[in-house]
Amino acid sequence: MLKLSAIEKQRISSFSSGLSAAILLIVLFSLVLFITWKGASYFWPTQVFKVTTNAQLADDSSVFVPSSVDLDEYNQALTTKLTIQFLNSNTPMPQVIAQKVDDVYQINLLSGATKYGHFQKIKTPNSERYQIAELNDVMADVVTFQVELDDIQNNHLTLLHRKIAQLNLTGVSEDAPARQRELTQFTYWQQKADRIRQTIDTYQLVFIDASEQDFAVLAKDINHLFQPNSMSFFDKVSYSGKKVLAFVSESPKQASTSGGVFPALFGTVIMVLMMAVIVAPFGAMAAIYLHEYAPNNMTTSIIRICVSNMAGVPSVVYGVFGLGFFVYTLGGSIDSLLFSDALPSPTFGTPGLFWAALTMALLTLPVVIVSTEEGLRRVPEGLRAGSYALGATKIETIWKTVLPVASPGIMTGVILAIARAAGEVAPLILVGAVKFAPSLPIDSEFPFLHLERQFMHLGVFIYDGAFHNQTNTQGSSMMFASCMLLLLIVFILNLFAIIVRNKLRARYIRI
Amino acid sequence: MLKLFETETLALSELTEKQTAIHVKDFSVWLNNNAVLNKISMRIPKNKITAMIGQSGCGKSTLLSSFNRMNELNQKYAYEGEVLLHGRNIYNKKENVAKLRTQVGMVFQRPNPFPMSIYENVCFGLRIQGETERRMLDDIVEKSLRNAALWDEVKDRLFDSALLLSGGQQQRLVIARALALNPEVLLLDEPTSALDPLTTLHIEELISQLKKSCTVVIVTHNMQQAARVSDYAVFLHQGELIEYSDSDSLFTMPSKKQTEDYITGRYG
Repeated sequence: MLKLSAIEKQRISSFSSGLSAAILLIVLFSLVLFITWKGASYFWPTQVFKVTTNAQLADDSSVFVPSSVDLDEYNQALTTKLTIQFLNSNTPMPQVIAQKVDDVYQINLLSGATKYGHFQKIKTPNSERYQIAELNDVMADVVTFQVELDDIQNNHLTLLHRKIAQLNLTGVSEDAPARQRELTQFTYWQQKADRIRQTIDTYQLVFIDASEQDFAVLAKDINHLFQPNSMSFFDKVSYSGKKVLAFVSESPKQASTSGGVFPALFGTVIMVLMMAVIVAPFGAMAAIYLHEYAPNNMTTSIIRICVSNMAGVPSVVYGVFGLGFFVYTLGGSIDSLLFSDALPSPTFGTPGLFWAALTMALLTLPVVIVSTEEGLRRVPEGLRAGSYALGATKIETIWKTVLPVASPGIMTGVILAIARAAGEVAPLILVGAVKFAPSLPIDSEFPFLHLERQFMHLGVFIYDGAFHNQTNTQGSSMMFASCMLLLLIVFILNLFAIIVRNKLRARYIRI
Repeated sequence: MLKLFETETLALSELTEKQTAIHVKDFSVWLNNNAVLNKISMRIPKNKITAMIGQSGCGKSTLLSSFNRMNELNQKYAYEGEVLLHGRNIYNKKENVAKLRTQVGMVFQRPNPFPMSIYENVCFGLRIQGETERRMLDDIVEKSLRNAALWDEVKDRLFDSALLLSGGQQQRLVIARALALNPEVLLLDEPTSALDPLTTLHIEELISQLKKSCTVVIVTHNMQQAARVSDYAVFLHQGELIEYSDSDSLFTMPSKKQTEDYITGRYG
């Protein structure tokens, strides 16, 4: 047996506990650093290489490929990949080489798609221009036409359409002069609009792709145009800034491989806030009952143990419960009581925002109860006695003296609940979060907050992103970017709650 | 110490119903099935200071909190007998306990100000009674703080947190809080045991002032304090009332041997 002196024992215990803390910190830091690095690189403009091959099978002998690594590294990776691919194959290994090309353009389209090519010319209805500098003038023309088109659409066509619909309603006959007049007008404006549309479509940019084929892009489809291989550092920074802005303010495009995540961001925040609003009062009330009213006996301890155990139930079980009870049973009953006209298509009997918030509230309820009870336990007996001695009843004592002092405990519970709910995925998929929702749960239509609508959630968005094609670097990077955003949101929501808690602490607890 | 300004000392046996604030009749208490008080009978005179002495666990705090029914907050509590407050049995079934506690105020061993402003602390009882008129509240706050000899120290910071006050100030604030309800009886449960000697002196002066407006019952472990401030004193031992008389006679020539032993420090 190894004999250790008391000092050595103490050293070993302090060293081992310090080591575990250090490992924990390293793990935490590397996680945050990794996600941030991967996420941030999504916003940084990538270089474009021209990859040329002599393989017979390839559709194009050369293509432009975006890459976030430098040329040597890229070539090495290509060779490795090919060697593995053709290791046991009879066909000879093709030659593949990536080259850097300076003047290639990256064309970001409004649809979210990206194209690469050398600039050839700009086509307008009556001229062809060979200077990219003239693009601004051309775009200005396009915008002018588009404004005109919008004007016709909004001020003439819509009005006429409404008038004709009115005539239909009042039963004016087909050949009545009034109707004829409106129809002539309608045809006139429609033809004019079509003409403008055709004109806009003649404004095109022609590029040459890597295999020397030219292709045209409609000027109206272009979102942003730049030369990724000859950008200065400041250009790159400003490009990244714009991309970050677009990321948090736009909807996803191209099956969630580009564009922004605004609906998911919004859905996450609104769901978490709704959950907090539901869970805080319920949890606090349950804790008050357990701590202040329930007799101190077996039953109460059993209830307490059950509550703590509820926190350990797998979250997907809550999801299944939410789907079975909230969505089908509760939602189904609401539908048959209040929305029976719309049946068989369900209104509330389908996964939606409210059910998701309710399920998450149920899932986080134990956390709030436990920490509220902890807060109540810390309220000094003297405060209660003082309140009773001044003629306060039990409810007045709880409301006026006990709850304010216990409020930091409630806030701690809400903080933990928020962190948990923002990151959950499994139950949300079952009760209302979807890959893509056509509309936000809040809009200008009555009743403004649409509780029955399905919504997007960052966690679900990330989960979905992980199943995208791995070779599509953009797609997987967007997943990391969303991951970073989710971390940031949890951090901000927590920070907010911690500030509130500290304010409450400073106010109600002895310094 | 001599009581130079003492005007009259009523003989306890000759106390009339009108001169009695609290009349305890054969009162017994059990806490958690243990007998704590055994058939206590006593009359506490109005507008006087009565001290309760006895060793720890003798039941004096239990007796004190029987006067405003604070004992009931304990889960296992049983009693027998009556306590009359100005002739009314406070243990009758229709008694409004919350209202009773506004008539019989209580101050505890440790100062327990609420985590609110000084002003709100004093207002607490009034607000519970439904008083909202600002002018009225202002007046009562000032009057109560003056009566508790705290006004001059806090008048410039009424809206600061009460938790920032010193221990002695907090205890006076708690007294002011009880006085704001204009109680008929004020119960003090070892009000100075957590305070330093100088602050204790402050509070003692305050207590002697208080008997002008209400009846004071004080529990204390400090014999000198009991002798200094009280008009009457009662000695309890193991739930029994051993001796009850005016303080001068109890502390100078106790009639029972047990009392003498206790006040001379032979046990306890």
